[in-house]
Amino acid sequence: MTHSDNTFIDIHVLQTVPPSCINRDDTGSPKSAVYGGVKRARVSSQAWKRATRSVFRDSLDESELGERTLKLVDRIAKRIRDLDPDRDETASVQLANKVLSASGIKVKVEKKKTKDDSDENTAEEHKTGYLVFLSRAQIEALAELAANAPDGEFSKSEAQKALKGASSIDVALFGRMIADAPELNVDAACQVSHAISVHEVVSEFDYFTAVDDNAPEDNAGAGMIGTVEFNSSTLYRYATIDAVRLSENLGSKEAAVRAVDAFIRAFILSMPTGKQNTFANRTRPGFVMVQVRSDQPTNLVGAFEDPVRPDADGGVLSAAAVELLEFAEAGDKAYGTHPVIDAEMVADPRALKMLRSKGADSSIGLDELVSTAVEATRSRLVGE
Amino acid sequence: MSTLVLELSGPLQAWGDESRFVRRDTRMLPTKSGVVGLLAAALGRRRIDPIEDLAGLRFGVRQEQPGELVRDFQTAIDWRTGKAKPLSQRYYVGDAKFLAFIEGDSTLLEGLAGAIKSPVFPLYLGRRACPPGTRLVLGIRDGDIEDAIESEPWRASERYMRTQPRDAMLLYSRDAGPYDVSDEMVRDVPVSFDPRNREYAWRSVVHGWSRVTNPEGVPSDEHDVMQLLGGI
Repeated sequence: MTHSDNTFIDIHVLQTVPPSCINRDDTGSPKSAVYGGVKRARVSSQAWKRATRSVFRDSLDESELGERTLKLVDRIAKRIRDLDPDRDETASVQLANKVLSASGIKVKVEKKKTKDDSDENTAEEHKTGYLVFLSRAQIEALAELAANAPDGEFSKSEAQKALKGASSIDVALFGRMIADAPELNVDAACQVSHAISVHEVVSEFDYFTAVDDNAPEDNAGAGMIGTVEFNSSTLYRYATIDAVRLSENLGSKEAAVRAVDAFIRAFILSMPTGKQNTFANRTRPGFVMVQVRSDQPTNLVGAFEDPVRPDADGGVLSAAAVELLEFAEAGDKAYGTHPVIDAEMVADPRALKMLRSKGADSSIGLDELVSTAVEATRSRLVGE
Repeated sequence: MSTLVLELSGPLQAWGDESRFVRRDTRMLPTKSGVVGLLAAALGRRRIDPIEDLAGLRFGVRQEQPGELVRDFQTAIDWRTGKAKPLSQRYYVGDAKFLAFIEGDSTLLEGLAGAIKSPVFPLYLGRRACPPGTRLVLGIRDGDIEDAIESEPWRASERYMRTQPRDAMLLYSRDAGPYDVSDEMVRDVPVSFDPRNREYAWRSVVHGWSRVTNPEGVPSDEHDVMQLLGGI
C-alpha cells in the first residue's frame, strides 16, 4: 500500500441557517459545543449524514453501478479459495453454489461438452438464472460465510443475512457497524465532522400559546403553553471522502467515481429536517470549497477558533469565507503542501463582492465544481 | 532515544477506554489505544493487522488546554426495518488541546511522522466524527518522553493562556518507567483492534504536573482561589 495514490476529497461548506432547531438533544435544546472558549451551535455528524444519505439514495440508481454477472458462483468460489487455500476448485464451486442457493439466488448448472464428447470431459458451468448485481462486499460476505462454516453447513437465514446485510454503495460510503454480526462491519470511506457555527451563538426561547378551538366563550385562557428553544447560525460543515477506500469497498473504480459525484452533491444540498415545519429553515450553502488532496484530509475548522466577527458590511458568511481561504493558504504554505485541485463556489453575493475586492474570486457553478473534483478523482483513480 | 510530538486539537475529541453499549464515555486525556489506532491508520494497517510494535512504544500526553465535557444525545433508526435503535449518549472533550508523545528509535519515528503527514486512512481524534483541527506532527525531539514533556513549549490558545497564572501547571500522564511508582492502572493498551475480538491490556501510568512560564498570564502575587477552577 503506498501513500502516493492517496486521494482525499475535502468538502468545506459555509451555510447560514435562520432561526431553527434542526438537531436537538433529549431536553429539546439545539445541540451546542464550546469552541474557542465560546458556545457554538452544533449539528451532529450523524444528523447531517442521515440527511445526506436520504438525498444520496434518491439521486443514485444503484443498479447502474457495480457489476452485473451470471458468473457469481465462480467469483465466490475464487474468494473462498483465497480465504481457505486448502479447498480445491470443485469443492469451492459446490460450496459457492450452496451458499448462493441458500441466500435465495437461483443457480443453474449447465453441462458443457468438451471437444471429444466423452462423459469424463464434461465440464459443469454454474450460472445464476439471471444477471445479478452484487457489490464486492456482498460477494465477500457470502464467501466468508461459506468458507468459515463448520463442515460447510450454514442455515438459509445466515446466507440471506449475508446477502441483505452486505454492502450497497451507501454502505461502502457510510460504513456499517452491526454489533451482533461484526463480520458484516464495513469501515466507512467518508468522514463527516460535526458542523459548528463560526461565531458565538445564543439560544433563544419562543414562548407559545395554543388556543383550544372548542373552549367555552367565557374562557380567555390558552389550551396549552410551552417554549421552543432555537438559534440561528452560520455553520462550517466539513466532510472528506477517501476515494481509494471507497473503490476498495465497492470493488470498482468507476462506481467509486460515480459515488463521489453523488456524495458531493448530496452533502452540499442536504439539510436535517428537525422542526422544519416550524421554522421553514432550509437554505443553501453560501460558500463551498472542494479540494482534492494527495497528502492528508485537512479540516479547516481552526480558521474559526477565534469566533468570526461580521465584516465592515455586517456579513458573517463573507468574513468567514475570507478567513477560511486565508487559513487554507497559510496551512499549505507552512507545511509545503498543495491540493491537487481546489475549486470554490460562491453563492452569497456579499461574499462574492468581498472576495473580488481581494482578487480571490474564482467562483464557478455547482455542476462545474462537482465535475472538477470528480475528474481529478477519476484521473487519480483510473489514471486517464 | 527520540520522541515524536503530536498536537491533538480540534472542536471535539473522544478518548474512550471503558466505553460499552449505549454510553460512550471519554477520558479527559487522550488514550494510548486511540493514538496507537491513529498511527496504525496512518500506516494503512487494517483492524485485523498486528499492532504490537506500535503498542510497545512508550506513550505520554500533556494537557495544553483542558477543554470541557460535551454530551451528545444520539438517536438512530435502522434503515432496513425503520425501527428505532436504543438511544445512546456520547461524550466528547470539546475545545481541548493536547500534546501526545511517542518515544522510540528516531528512524522508526521518522517513518511514523511521514505516515501521519500522508496517511493511508483519514485520521481522527478517537472517533470518526472528530477530524483533527491541525496537521498533528510538531516534530521529533532528541531525548526521552520525560525530557519532551518538560521542554516542549506550551501550545494553548492565547485566550486560554490569559486566564492562567504566570506560573502555569500542565497536567501530564505517561507510561510508567521501570523505576516509577504507578499512579493508576488503565485498560488502554490495544492488543487487537479486530472487530470480532477487540482486546485491551492494562498499563501503569504516572500522572504529574509540568511547569511552564506564562508571560501573558494573571499575576499571582495574591492567593487566587479561582485558579484551580480554570481562572476567571
